[in-house]
Amino acid sequence: MQCICKIVENRELCKDVFEMKIECPEMVREAQPGQFLHLKVNKSIDPLLRRPISISRIYRDTGVISIVYQCVGKGTKEMTALKKGEYIDVLGPLGSGFTLSDEGKCAVVGGGIGIAPLLELACSLKDCDAYLGFRCNTYKLDEFSSACKELYIATEDGSTGSKGYVTDIIKDITKYNVIYACGPKGMLKRVKELCEDTGVKCFVSVEERMGCGIGACLVCACRIKEGDTWHYKKACTDGPVFAAEEVDFDD
Amino acid sequence: MTRMSVNIGGIKLKNPVLTSSGTFGFGREYSGFYDLSKLGGIVVKGLTLEPREGNKPPRIAETPAGMLNSVGLQNPGVEYFIEKELPFLRGYDVAVIANIAGNTVEEYCMMARRLGSLVDGIELNISCPNVKEGGAAFGISSESVYNITRRVKEQCKVPLIVKLSPNVTDIKEIAESAKEGGADALSLINTLRGMAIDINSRRPVLANNVGGLSGPAVKPVAVGMVWQAAQAVDIPIIGMGGISCWEDAIEFMLAGADAVSVGTANFINPYAPLEILEGIEKYLIKNQFSNINELKGNLKIYGGDNKCLQKKE
Repeated sequence: MQCICKIVENRELCKDVFEMKIECPEMVREAQPGQFLHLKVNKSIDPLLRRPISISRIYRDTGVISIVYQCVGKGTKEMTALKKGEYIDVLGPLGSGFTLSDEGKCAVVGGGIGIAPLLELACSLKDCDAYLGFRCNTYKLDEFSSACKELYIATEDGSTGSKGYVTDIIKDITKYNVIYACGPKGMLKRVKELCEDTGVKCFVSVEERMGCGIGACLVCACRIKEGDTWHYKKACTDGPVFAAEEVDFDD
Repeated sequence: MTRMSVNIGGIKLKNPVLTSSGTFGFGREYSGFYDLSKLGGIVVKGLTLEPREGNKPPRIAETPAGMLNSVGLQNPGVEYFIEKELPFLRGYDVAVIANIAGNTVEEYCMMARRLGSLVDGIELNISCPNVKEGGAAFGISSESVYNITRRVKEQCKVPLIVKLSPNVTDIKEIAESAKEGGADALSLINTLRGMAIDINSRRPVLANNVGGLSGPAVKPVAVGMVWQAAQAVDIPIIGMGGISCWEDAIEFMLAGADAVSVGTANFINPYAPLEILEGIEKYLIKNQFSNINELKGNLKIYGGDNKCLQKKE
């Protein structure tokens, strides 16, 4: 659905990372962790396209959705200028989100801005640990800490938690029944390898450059294995969440 | 005939607003937003004889007021379309036009034969800039446009629309060749070939290196080419290229288009075609036109003899 929604909060969490809370009760009713909103950041034809931003939290009681975005270009820069009380054109909730598992212990593994979409998931899971990797500045640690049993942090500069990559701090992956991952392609590829080596079920949320967000334009192609062959599937509607073993990260 | 109905080379449309190939899938994606029967017509995603996976991603680059794409005709093939997608579209009261592309003239002919009268019209895609063989190669010389149009027309049981590439030296010449080859109508423009470069990685943004430019950025080029084509030929024209509001649509009609097609705007505003339709109707009423066909070429040009293009009865 498409709605003009009121912004109830838009603030910087840490350098270049922002959280926007949007009042959209109809979308809240349908929204699932792992889905995304497709935002028109202004009414102008430049930037032309919508911006796909993952849902970070769904507040069912207040009808608010929180999204966390990184200021990386023209569109997201425009977003940072939007004020509380202003309105934004939202299409959503879009995409196939995470399939929740009741199979015991789970972990979310996130890197960079890919950490945000895992928060609602972590809140929905009963027994979940979190492994979060940042470059330097951290965000949302309190919320992950209260949603998860254990919280493990890595930063590339060592300013918080262990120094290095998040995939290096996962000591015993076999204690988990399911791993959910979101982050840079290199990180997802490594998580997939770790899970494949140990036989742990893994789901990944992929990021591709998107157009329409609803499956019509076919630009967000993601190479997915099917048996002995492969097909380009749509990150926007078939994904963004896929079973890790299906995704060909070498494309 | 109602105020809004148009006849595109034998394809009767209840209104002049279509959706462009490659921007509307097979209609399913937009059917959740509104009743597809409200549209004049749907031109489906470009079809090939066999399924195609398309090009490697990234396939999109945003540009000022526009976008480049290099999808590369990803589609499930003409058989799948007939069996799985067409029945869905036939559930709506809307003209369905199949856009077809091939590697060889014979492939185009086979598809036209296979589609028979299952669709309301066929749009000949000889202007896709994103595939190595076929595609635009057929659309850039008068001789090849004439030849392929003539060959495919012989196989067509429904009206044939030839979709023209803007990547040509003289659009008038190409339009005339399509008409001579037997085209019942023309549609233009397809995307303009373009490129975007990431200056940090020093690589093209698109994995295909180049792509097709669409969106508001191309609109003036498209209006100009529709105007030129409309002066060269008297067959109906579907105008497209960057139409995102009803004012844009009126511009195309004044330039000489009989109908308009909405493409990239669907990606930003799913309701764009309906809003455009509503705007056109209001414009007609406000300016006291009794019929949409009175708009075609109703343009007072500078320095000319002011002979407006009028639709032949």
